[in-house]
Amino acid sequence: MTVTAVTRRTGEPPGSLLAVSTDGLTKRFGDRTVVDGVDLAIPRGSVCGFVGPNGAGKTTTIRMLLGLIRPTAGRGSILGGSLTDPASYLHKVGALIESPAFYPQLSGRDNLKSLARLGRIPAAAIDPALERTGMTARAGDKYRSYSLGMKQRLGIAAALLPAPELLILDEPANGLDPGGIVEMRGLIRSFADDGITVLVSSHLISEIEQVCDHIVMIRGGRLVHQGPVAELAARRRPDIVVAPEHAADLGQLARILEVSGLSVAASQADGTAVVPASGVSAADLNRLAARGGITLRQISERTHSLEDLFFELTGANAAMSPGQEMGAIR
Amino acid sequence: MIVASYRSEWVKLKRKSLLLSTFLGLAAASSLFVLLIFSNATAHGSGGGLPSLQQLARPNGLVFGLTRATFLLGVVAFGTAAAQTASEYSLGTLRQLLVRQPRRVTLLTGKMLAVITFMVLATAFAAVVAFLVANVMAQSRGVSTSAWFTGTGLEDLLKALGNIELAVIGYSILGLVIGQFLRSAVAAVIVGFAWLLVIEQFILTRIVPSAAPWLPGISLSTIAGGGNSDFGITYSHGLVVAAVYIGVAIAAAWITFARRDVTA
Repeated sequence: MTVTAVTRRTGEPPGSLLAVSTDGLTKRFGDRTVVDGVDLAIPRGSVCGFVGPNGAGKTTTIRMLLGLIRPTAGRGSILGGSLTDPASYLHKVGALIESPAFYPQLSGRDNLKSLARLGRIPAAAIDPALERTGMTARAGDKYRSYSLGMKQRLGIAAALLPAPELLILDEPANGLDPGGIVEMRGLIRSFADDGITVLVSSHLISEIEQVCDHIVMIRGGRLVHQGPVAELAARRRPDIVVAPEHAADLGQLARILEVSGLSVAASQADGTAVVPASGVSAADLNRLAARGGITLRQISERTHSLEDLFFELTGANAAMSPGQEMGAIR
Repeated sequence: MIVASYRSEWVKLKRKSLLLSTFLGLAAASSLFVLLIFSNATAHGSGGGLPSLQQLARPNGLVFGLTRATFLLGVVAFGTAAAQTASEYSLGTLRQLLVRQPRRVTLLTGKMLAVITFMVLATAFAAVVAFLVANVMAQSRGVSTSAWFTGTGLEDLLKALGNIELAVIGYSILGLVIGQFLRSAVAAVIVGFAWLLVIEQFILTRIVPSAAPWLPGISLSTIAGGGNSDFGITYSHGLVVAAVYIGVAIAAAWITFARRDVTA
């Protein structure tokens, strides 16, 4: 397990640099451990991606942060309030948990009115929330008549009602078409511009990569990595893929490169050899191959995606937990 | 805090479809009982347990129909209340509510008070409509209504209405609690109706015939009727037994609601 970048600070006092910190957060349902000793450290003002395959424990963790599920073990602090006393911090938190859930027979505006009254939030907060999410025109229509994208936007409007310092969005892009996803991305960025800390969970790492500056990776209920996205990106050193004109030359090519001190991964299946790009250029490889009398039909650079890094960090392909869907990440 | 939860619940309760269906449904049901009682009343004596026209002309004649309709009012109150709590689970809205009001007992109490107020108002509306229908029917059957509006008549009327409202409150609370436990409106209604219509009767006829004074459904109907001559249960006994059942039910609902993980 790799935990990097942010030192764990549990029981953070108000005004701390962390919006969310947990220490050994654990949830067991009977014999099944769904979240296992997770130590979160999410900086204030960050847009933090919370990624992991379906069934990794993201939603259970989020529900624990929101006081919906009681942790079996561990402790934590959210915006300076203790996890054991959700009332001390939830008035500063907005949340969209899984799919949006509202009363179908009420209009969007009445749904928000009900939540505003419950949270003792002034009714004046409703219109700006609707406007920000582009829902003003349809606010008077019944919720059941909304498209999925509109339901998601109303869910975000509800999350914005308390003028939150922390916004927790669980899979906000779920079910959205490409246009809706772009729109959602823009909204999340605008929250960050306003200084709101955003914790956004997703099983789509590519989505997270585009919008987040901090990342938490979870798998099988365990934290596998957390830290700035930039730091993770820096670890994405590209590879150079070379392929000899004749597949039979692959072995010889690999030997030539290894003799030159390079680390080589040759694949007979696709007839290529992969060399880490650090300290060597495509021209160098071409030159080495030519000296050995081998003509190359392909020299290309391959950049690792965050998904590749995720699998590298988790060893996912080697040890998949039961019930986890790799397809969701791929 | 409870006031905020109460006001929030009212946004949902006052939606037109629920308001009309409950208020008009209860009014129609209680009016139907009044119609049947007046239509089938004979001049003297009681036929098939129904009051005679002579009895209907007495000071308490106005409340006969509504009292007979109490069980139906209770059943509707039970079902409506059960749906209000259970649907929060089935719709997934409970998680939204708990983020805005994490003090769960406060949330549940405000919700219960709102639903109880709603059912009390619906019952009062049904009573007003039933009384109007009773007046019309009295004219058509030639029943004198002068005794209804005497001091004794009005006292009987208010007492009967109070008892019916108390019973409706009891049915509503049991509905809210069972809906909360079962997290399914349909399951709650089935269990509630099965208990009231089948299981209590089965207990009385097959298992413990002397258990009547201790059963919740019979206790509530005792309150509604101002006493239960069929089983010889006094009003105060019914009141105490029902209060114990309702107190235990509320405490159990608070405890389970406060401790239960919300995964819906």
